[in-house]
Parts: sequence; structure tokens; C-alpha cells
Amino acid sequence: MPSDTRQKVLRHIDIVGQLQPALHQPQHAPLPTEIDNAHYRAYMRTSHDVGGEPDVTIQWHEKEEEQWELNTYVTCECLAWRGVWNAEERRRRQNVDLGQTQYLGLPYYGRWLLSAARIMVDKQHITLTELMNKIDEVKKRYE
Amino acid sequence: MADKHKPAPMVDEVSDFEVLEVAVRELAIEKGLFSAEDHRRFAEFAHSIGPLPAARLVAKSWLDPEFKKLALEDGFTASKEVGIDWLNPTGFGTPSDYCDLRVLENTPSVHHVVVCTLCSCYPRPILGHSPEWYRTPNYRRRLVRWPRQVLSEFGLQIPSDVEVRVEDSNQKCRFMVMPMRPEGTEDWSEDQLAEIVTRDCMLGVALPHPDRKADDKRPVHKAANPVHGH
Repeated sequence: MPSDTRQKVLRHIDIVGQLQPALHQPQHAPLPTEIDNAHYRAYMRTSHDVGGEPDVTIQWHEKEEEQWELNTYVTCECLAWRGVWNAEERRRRQNVDLGQTQYLGLPYYGRWLLSAARIMVDKQHITLTELMNKIDEVKKRYE
Repeated sequence: MADKHKPAPMVDEVSDFEVLEVAVRELAIEKGLFSAEDHRRFAEFAHSIGPLPAARLVAKSWLDPEFKKLALEDGFTASKEVGIDWLNPTGFGTPSDYCDLRVLENTPSVHHVVVCTLCSCYPRPILGHSPEWYRTPNYRRRLVRWPRQVLSEFGLQIPSDVEVRVEDSNQKCRFMVMPMRPEGTEDWSEDQLAEIVTRDCMLGVALPHPDRKADDKRPVHKAANPVHGH
């Protein structure tokens, strides 16, 4: 393996490791008898339901919008306008389905963007191969 | 000084978000899910919205008790008088999934503030795009539990004998605050009044004042490639 590839792989493994949530109970795909209803309820909590969680005092900021963020907002609205998805599907995909690591780890419109890509694949408007090819093609434009 | 301690931007190349955004948009257009013209028109709408219609709704209410009654009882109908049709906010048909606007009246004994704990629901047609801080997990986490502390970080101290009521938005129902008309604005016109009803006043994190025509300055996170025209 070339050393710069090795460096990239190691960096990737390192970042992935750092992004693992810290759990305070052992988890090993337990037997049904090992999960009581209180735990079941806790596991059913969705990661976007943050109201009431403690957090630190912060300085409140305004934010300049990236062009891709505005474009993402508009793309998501156009997909709705033309009937590709409805509000319930959008919310499920942008908030619930991501899991805690991505939900809290990605920028706000980054979540929107992933959900737009996924709805197009899941509803078979595009294939994953088409998406990957398009991503490669777009990347080349910037080289 | 503060800038020195800021981390260097992690993005030093075209970001994967930018690439994915172009890819998704172009594929959607190529597949006919929407047209390039649709995207352009909606972007135009997105640029056109802001807090002015809501400010006008408040100013009108301060001047006209009948309109105020309507605004508090039926925000949907009152919005039409300031040019906002919740069923069709763009004027060319859109996915509006929220058609219930509730206007929350502040009184000498109750102060309202708005949040969306589950996501970031916001009355965009009448108030424009939500500020970044409104979308942060931090604001959503703490406001429902420690509202007075959070408000004080916005520079707003609510006296202990005033009740603070936090309204949690949801997909179908959006909120805006109708602040109390401040002293020193007697004989003002609707235009003059609308000027002091800023976005933050209608979210409940600030109060209108005769000398305050813009929201408090806060630090701004700069964009790497900001929206054209900003």
C-alpha cells in the first residue's frame, strides 16, 4: 500500500473511532429476556427528540449561508412540489433515520442533502451507480 | 483576538457536500423530477421571503383592535391581509405542509418564546428563513427547560413575576409572537411601527423598542462559498 494511502486509511479509522458514541451499558444484541420495557422505551427514543436535554451556555451566532445550502433547500422543496416526497417522509429521513452520530455530526443542510439523494435512490428514480458516476463526473469538473 | 482561537476551516478543497448537491440537483433535472426552471423559480421565492409580512401583521394589530382580534383567533386569515396565503405561499403552487399559524400575544404577565424541539419548524412564509441558532440542538435542548437562562443569553431578562411560555412548533402548526407595543410609539404610523418589530421580537428572544430597528449584532459564521449576492 502506498504510504499516503496508508495515512489516509489510518486517519479514516481514527476519525471513525472517535465518532463512536460512548455507551455506558454493555451491548451485545441481547436475548429478549434481557430487555425490560423501560429499556425498550429508551431504545425507541429518536435522536432528534432533544427537548430538555442539558447543554452548556454558548454564544449565539448568525450564519452566512453556503450556496450549496440554499441550493439544497430549493432542491428539497422542488422534490416536494413535484410530488417526489411529502412532509412526513422528509422528516423521517432527515431526522429519524440518520441515527445519532450523523444527526448531531452533520451540518443542518447536509442532512437535507443526504435525504434528497436517498429518496431518489430508494424510490428508484436513479440507481446508486448513476449517483456514483455523477459524483465522479462533478468532481472532475473541479480538478 | 477571538479569531485567533478559532479552529482553521477543515474544508480546504471542494467539499463533498458541494459535489453531492450538484450531482443530486442535476440528476433530478435530468430525470425530469423537476425542471431547471422550477429550481430557478423556487430559488427566487427563497430569496424573496423575510420577516416584513409578520412585522406588518404585528403593527396592524397594534393599530387596529379588530385586526388584532382576527390575528389572535385566526392567524391564517389575518396573514392574507399582509400578503401571505399559507395554502399557497409561493403563488405558483408549493409543498406547503403547514397551514396553521398561531399568533401568541405577549401581555404584562406572559412572555412567549418559540422553539421547535423535534426539528426546526419555522413560519418561513411570513418570517423568512430561520436563523442558524434557532436550528441548533443547544437552543432546542435548553429553551424548553431553562427558558429564562437562554433568554438572558440573548440579552433579555424576563422579570420573575412574568410567566415565560415556550411554544414548541410542529410540522402542521407554526407560531409567531406578538410583542407588546412599546411606550414612546404613540402616533406612529404602521410603517414606523413595523420597522421596530424585528425577527427576534417575533420569536420572543427580544423586545421591540422605539430606538431598535435591527436585531442585536451577533458574531457571524462566515461561509466558504456564500450565496451569491450576500
